[in-house]
Amino acid sequence: MVKGLLCAVLLLITINGHAETWPDQEWAKGTPLTGPALEALDAYAFAPRDDATRQGIRTDALLVIRDGKVIYERYAAPTSASTPHLTWSVSKSLMACVLGVAYGDNRFKLSDPVARFYPPMKQHPTVTMADLLHWASGLDWQEDYEFAPLKSSVVAMLYTRGRADMAEFAANSDTFSAPGRAFRYSSGDSNLLSAALKGMLGHKAYMSYPWDALFTPLGIRNATWETDADETFVASSYAYLTARDLARVGLLMARDGRWKDQQLLPRDWVAFNRQAFGNYKAGQDEATPGGHWWLNQGTPRPWPDAPADTFAALGHWGQALYVMPEQRLVIVRYGDDRDGSYRHNELLKRVLAAVQP
Amino acid sequence: MIRRRPFTSLFLLLLLALLGWVWHERVNLQAFPDIIAAYTAKEYCSCRYVANNPAAYCLGYVKQYLPTSAFNDNPLRSEVTASGLGRTHTARWLGERQGCRLNP
Repeated sequence: MVKGLLCAVLLLITINGHAETWPDQEWAKGTPLTGPALEALDAYAFAPRDDATRQGIRTDALLVIRDGKVIYERYAAPTSASTPHLTWSVSKSLMACVLGVAYGDNRFKLSDPVARFYPPMKQHPTVTMADLLHWASGLDWQEDYEFAPLKSSVVAMLYTRGRADMAEFAANSDTFSAPGRAFRYSSGDSNLLSAALKGMLGHKAYMSYPWDALFTPLGIRNATWETDADETFVASSYAYLTARDLARVGLLMARDGRWKDQQLLPRDWVAFNRQAFGNYKAGQDEATPGGHWWLNQGTPRPWPDAPADTFAALGHWGQALYVMPEQRLVIVRYGDDRDGSYRHNELLKRVLAAVQP
Repeated sequence: MIRRRPFTSLFLLLLLALLGWVWHERVNLQAFPDIIAAYTAKEYCSCRYVANNPAAYCLGYVKQYLPTSAFNDNPLRSEVTASGLGRTHTARWLGERQGCRLNP
């Protein structure tokens, strides 16, 4: 009896293993979406584009993967399937994946002080890796982009006072709160993570680490990750991937950090990514922060029409990688939205309507 | 003084407040004019040489409400220079993996 059960379980695992589709050089093609729900999705994502006023929803790329197969893919010129598109703050979640590999190699613990790996953080000796991953360093950071360019820490970091050494610029910030107590979205926190990784690995290994640890194992061949003058990857903003390659990261996350037979990211790392930061107050941002990923958790849910297990990497001007493990869906959306009219929930709602059998 | 010259007093008070603010924000104010040239040079460079978009598209892509006074894209050196608000910045493409970076 027990033997029989065991055989049945083994058989099930084997069948599942064989049924699982993974991208090889290229993605496999599934049955393409059709019907009125697809038209509604197209109408929302690819509304006629006004390049003079740059108003409205301006999607550059939309790619939907189900069960590891492409079921929808569309681009707006000049973006194409081979364009390594700027991901802006999606880069932050990519850095979380890269750090996940280092975490699996026991390079650091979540409770480690950042100063152990990055000496300029001795100014803030109690800030931990987990605090940075939660955007809860307590550093006094102003994230506004266009609306407050004078006071914006991000603009100063990327283009003026901070650009030679972005992590040091962030480390030199004042504090507004004790570490780990309050959420404040900060590109500075993300670049401190990048500098901490450099400290763990040493400069030489660090310079190829995103490729060695993440991109190459996933079959990503065209990734660019820009660095500051101190050769620290700009983890806050400057990773470039094709939509198809970003979807590989989505599939990795949808399958709990596993790529084919290899557990690339430890399962407890992905669980940390997907666990809401406890001191986040509803409404502080457009979604609930986890460990350098955005979660559809809380009351009300940030995206009520999407399942509660949805999580995402989000970036400026409409960049997004959405993952829905239960639905076995990965969605990449690149955009050039210059106003706030694009809605994550609306896009997800229409994708979900279009993929219903 | 305040009663006899209410407007002059108010003006002096506002001027004092303004000077206080300028002093308080001196670091930010000094860096501010660099933004448009640095932004334009860096983001055009990446648009053109990392994402491989056409030049005309990238010019539109980096356009902001502040104008640039000069712009030069040197495809032979993959180097982009932009000027605005009296400051000039250059970004250069370094390679496939490292993309573009502003020159120091």
